[in-house]
Amino acid sequence: MVGHVARCVGQLAVALLGIVTVAFFLMRAIPGDPALYMLGDFATTEALAALRARLGLDLPVWQQYGVFLLRAVQGDLGTSVVTGEPALREILASVPPSAALAVAGMAIAVVFGVPLGIIAAVRQGSAVDVGVMLLALGGISFPVFWVGIVAILTFSHALGLFPALGATSEPGFWKGLHHLALPALVLGLSVAAYIARLTRSAMLEVLGQDHIRVARAMGVPERRIVWKLALRNALIPVLAVIGVTFAWSLGNAILVEAVFSRPGLGSTILKAILARDYQLVQAGVLVLAAAVVLLNTALDLLYATIDPRLRQR
Amino acid sequence: MSATFEDIDAAAEAATRRRATLRRYARHPGFMIGAAGILLLLLVAILAPWIAPHSPTQTDLMNTLAPASSTYWLGTDQFGRCVASRLIHGAQVSLLVGFFVVLISLSAGTIIGAVAGYAGGWLERALVAVIDILLAFPSFLLALALVAARGNTLDSIILAVAIAYTPRVAAVMRSVVLTIRPRPFIEASRAIGLTPWTIVLRHVIPNALPPVIVVATVSAATAILAEAGLSFLGLGVQPPTPTWGNVIAEGQTAITTNPLISLSAGLCIAFTVVVLNLLGDGLRDTLDPQMRRNTGKLL
Amino acid sequence: MSAAFELRGLTAAVPGEKAAIRLVEDVSLHVHAGETLAVVGESGSGKTVTFTSALGLLPKPGRVIAGQALLEGVDLLTLGPEALRRMRGARIGMVFQDPLTGLNPVFRVGAQIAEVLRAHLPLSRQAARDRAVELLARVQIPDPARRVDDYPHQFSGGMRQRVLTAMAIALGPRVLIADEPTTALDVTVQAQVLDLLGDLRDADGMAMVLITHDLGVVARQADRVAVMYAGRVVETGTVAEVFAAPRHPYTIALFRSIPDIEAPPGTQLAPIAGSPPEPARRPAGCAFAPRCFAASEAAGCHATRPPLTGTGHAAACHRQGALEIAA
Repeated sequence: MVGHVARCVGQLAVALLGIVTVAFFLMRAIPGDPALYMLGDFATTEALAALRARLGLDLPVWQQYGVFLLRAVQGDLGTSVVTGEPALREILASVPPSAALAVAGMAIAVVFGVPLGIIAAVRQGSAVDVGVMLLALGGISFPVFWVGIVAILTFSHALGLFPALGATSEPGFWKGLHHLALPALVLGLSVAAYIARLTRSAMLEVLGQDHIRVARAMGVPERRIVWKLALRNALIPVLAVIGVTFAWSLGNAILVEAVFSRPGLGSTILKAILARDYQLVQAGVLVLAAAVVLLNTALDLLYATIDPRLRQR
Repeated sequence: MSATFEDIDAAAEAATRRRATLRRYARHPGFMIGAAGILLLLLVAILAPWIAPHSPTQTDLMNTLAPASSTYWLGTDQFGRCVASRLIHGAQVSLLVGFFVVLISLSAGTIIGAVAGYAGGWLERALVAVIDILLAFPSFLLALALVAARGNTLDSIILAVAIAYTPRVAAVMRSVVLTIRPRPFIEASRAIGLTPWTIVLRHVIPNALPPVIVVATVSAATAILAEAGLSFLGLGVQPPTPTWGNVIAEGQTAITTNPLISLSAGLCIAFTVVVLNLLGDGLRDTLDPQMRRNTGKLL
Repeated sequence: MSAAFELRGLTAAVPGEKAAIRLVEDVSLHVHAGETLAVVGESGSGKTVTFTSALGLLPKPGRVIAGQALLEGVDLLTLGPEALRRMRGARIGMVFQDPLTGLNPVFRVGAQIAEVLRAHLPLSRQAARDRAVELLARVQIPDPARRVDDYPHQFSGGMRQRVLTAMAIALGPRVLIADEPTTALDVTVQAQVLDLLGDLRDADGMAMVLITHDLGVVARQADRVAVMYAGRVVETGTVAEVFAAPRHPYTIALFRSIPDIEAPPGTQLAPIAGSPPEPARRPAGCAFAPRCFAASEAAGCHATRPPLTGTGHAAACHRQGALEIAA
C-alpha cells in the first residue's frame, strides 16, 4: 500500500512537471508576438522592447523555459496584463464557484449515472434498458449550452422553480445552492448519460464472468450479486472514466458558466482570451490541467482500496 | 466452466454464420438510422443553396423576429433573416469541421498511437507520457485557447479542434495496437525481416482499422459539439456566416420572443450527433464487438 | 432406495432461426447418497448444460423445455426463483472447472465464503467468518485463520479450487456436482483435489456427480458412469460393467483413443475421426452414426434415433446386439 501511494505521488510530480512544460511550449508554439498582441498595433518600439524584457521574451527559449519553470515551482505564473495582479491569484480567486459547480455536477452524474447503468444492465434488452440508453444517447448528443437554455426556459421562465442566473451576490448557503442547482443539473446530466452507458457495459461484462455464475450456483440472492459482488468489479472501469469525464466536464463547465452568467474559472479564462491576457489564459489552463491530474491521482489511490491486486505490486 | 456459453454461442453462431455481412448491417436498426441520417445531412449541406427558401444572410427588417409562417418556416431572427435557411446552410460548417477534424486527428493520432503501441522501449514510454499529459488538459479548453491565439477562421478552428482531440485518438489507437502486437503474424513479419515501418503501415494499421473507423464517427460527433461550443461563445466562425452554434447564441438574446430559433438550432446539432453516435454504435457492434470498452472512453 | 438426485427426460434448448435448437435432449440420470456418478463426454456433448439447466442457471436465451430434476423427490424445475435459490448452495452444491476465474478478484476469500453462508443462514458477520475459517481447514488449506483474509490472487490454482469447494460444501449439501474440477489444474494437484472431494463425499454421505472427460479419473473415483454424446446419454452402467464390456461404439472408440501403458510398444492409438455435430446440425438418425465404425443402413442408424435400452447397463445403439456378438 505504501509503495502504491509513493508511486502515485511520484507520478503526480512528473505529471505536474509535464503539464507546466506542455503549457509553456504550447503557448510559445502559437505564432505571433505576445507583446505586440498585448500592446496593439500602435505601440512604440521602446514600449515593445520594454514589455518583451519584462516578460522575458528577449531571452533564448530554453532560458525562458528555465525561468518559467523556476517561477512556476514558486507559484509564480506571471501577472495579468489587464489588472496587474499575479495571474495565479486571479485564477485561484475564481476557483471556488467553479469547484462548487464541478463537484455538484459530478455528484449528480454519479448519483444518477451509476444506478441507471446498473438497472439497464440487469434488465438488458427490456423497455427500461432501451429507455435508459435512449436517454443517455440524448444526454451525450445535445450540446450542454443548449440544454442550459432549455432548462432556463422551462425551470426559470415557465415554472419559476429556479433562478435563471447561476449565481448570486446575496450571502447564505441555501441561497447559493438554489442558484447552483440548475447549472449543476445541466452539467451533471451530460456526464451522467456518459457514466450510465459505461456502467452498463462494465456491469454486463462483470455479470458474464465466472465468479458471478459461481455466486448464483451457491444461491447468493440476485440483489446481493448485482449491488455488492458485481458492482465492486464494475466500479473499477467506471472510476477510470470519472477521471476522464472530469476533464471533459471542466470544458463543459465553461459553456455552462456562460449560459447561466455564473462567475468562475471558465468566465475568467474566457474574459482573458477576449482581452488577449495571455499570461492569465496560461495560468488558467495550467490550474485546470493540474486539477485533472490531482483528481486522477486521488482516483488511483481509490482504485487500490477497491482492487487488491494493485496494492501488492 | 465456460462450456455452457460455448455451447450456446456455437448454436447461435451456426444459426447466423451463413448470413451475409450486408444483412447483418441491415438488421441493425441503429446503424441504418445513423447511415440514413448522415446521408440526409450530407445532401442538405451540399444542396443548401437550392433547398434553402431564402439567402441565409439576407435581412428583412420589416419582419424581424417573425413567428413561423409559410414564408419563413421557422420564423426570422432579430435581423429578419430566415432561420430555416440559416440552419440549412449551417450544416455546411458543422459537417466540414466534423470531416476535417476527423481526417487530421485520425491520421495524426493513428500514426502516433500505432508507433507508440508498436515501438515499445523508450519511444513508447516518451510518447505515452506526452499523450497522458495532453489528456490532462480539458480538450475543449485547449481548443478554446488555440482558437483565441490563432483567430477564428474556419481552418484555424478545424486545426485547433483537431490538435485538441488528437491525444484521445492516439490513446485509443495505442490500446488497440497493444492487442495486435502479440499476434503471430506480426511475429512472422518480424521474422522474415520486414522493417518496423513496413510492419506498422502494412500490418498494424490495417488490422487496427475497424476500431479506428468507429473512433472516427465518435470523434466527428465530438468535433461538431466542440465547434458548436466555440461558435456559441463567439469564438467560432463569425456571423453573418451561419453556424448552428452562433444561431443558438444569437437566438438566446431573443429567447422569450422567439424560442424556436435556439431550440431548432440545438435540435440540428443533437440530430447530427445522435446519428453519428448511432452509426458508431452500429459499426462497433457489427465490426468489432470486442472493443466496446475502448471506444467507451472516447468522449 | 430412492435417488438423492435424479434427472428425468431433461431437455434444454435455445431459440433458433426456425425451430428451437436442442442443446441436451431427454437426459435421464440418477445418483444415490454416498455414491459418485461420473458423466463423461467430449467438450460440447452437453455435460455442463445438463446440470446448469437442472439448477436453473442456463444463461439466456437457453431454457429447459421438458423433463424433471428431482432433488430428494422435489422437482427443482417447478420451483419459483426464490425457492430454487434457497436450494442452490444449501441442498445442492456445485464446483466449477476454472478455479482461476471462479473467485471474485476484489473480495477476500473469507468474505466470499461468508457471503454464501449468509445467503442461507441468519449468521452474524463474526459467526460467518468463524465458519469460513473452519471450512478452509476442512478443505485442508494450511493456516486458515490467516488465509481467510487473503484475496484470490494470493492463492495457487489448486488452493483456489479448495476455496471453491469450501463454498460448495459450506451448507452441507446432499448433492455435490463437480464440473471438471481438475481440468485447469496441474497434474500433481489434480489427484489431491479429487481425493479431497472423495473424502468429503464419504464424510458427509453426499451424492456426487463428477463431470469429466478423463476416463482414468472415472475408473479411480466413480461408482457408476454415464457417457454423453451430442446432448444425449448414450451409455450408462456401473464403472465395472462399462469398462469391462462397453456397448456403445462411441464408448468403445473412447477407450481405444486413450493411451494404455500396458499395450505392447508400437500399438497405434485410434483417435475418433471427425468431430461431434453442432447442436443445430445434428443428423436425423443416431448422432454418432457419421463417425461410427459400426453404422449400417440396414440397422437404420442414419434414419432413426436409437432409444436407451437395457436395465442397469444400458446403451443407445441400433447395433448393440450385433456388437456384443462381435466382441
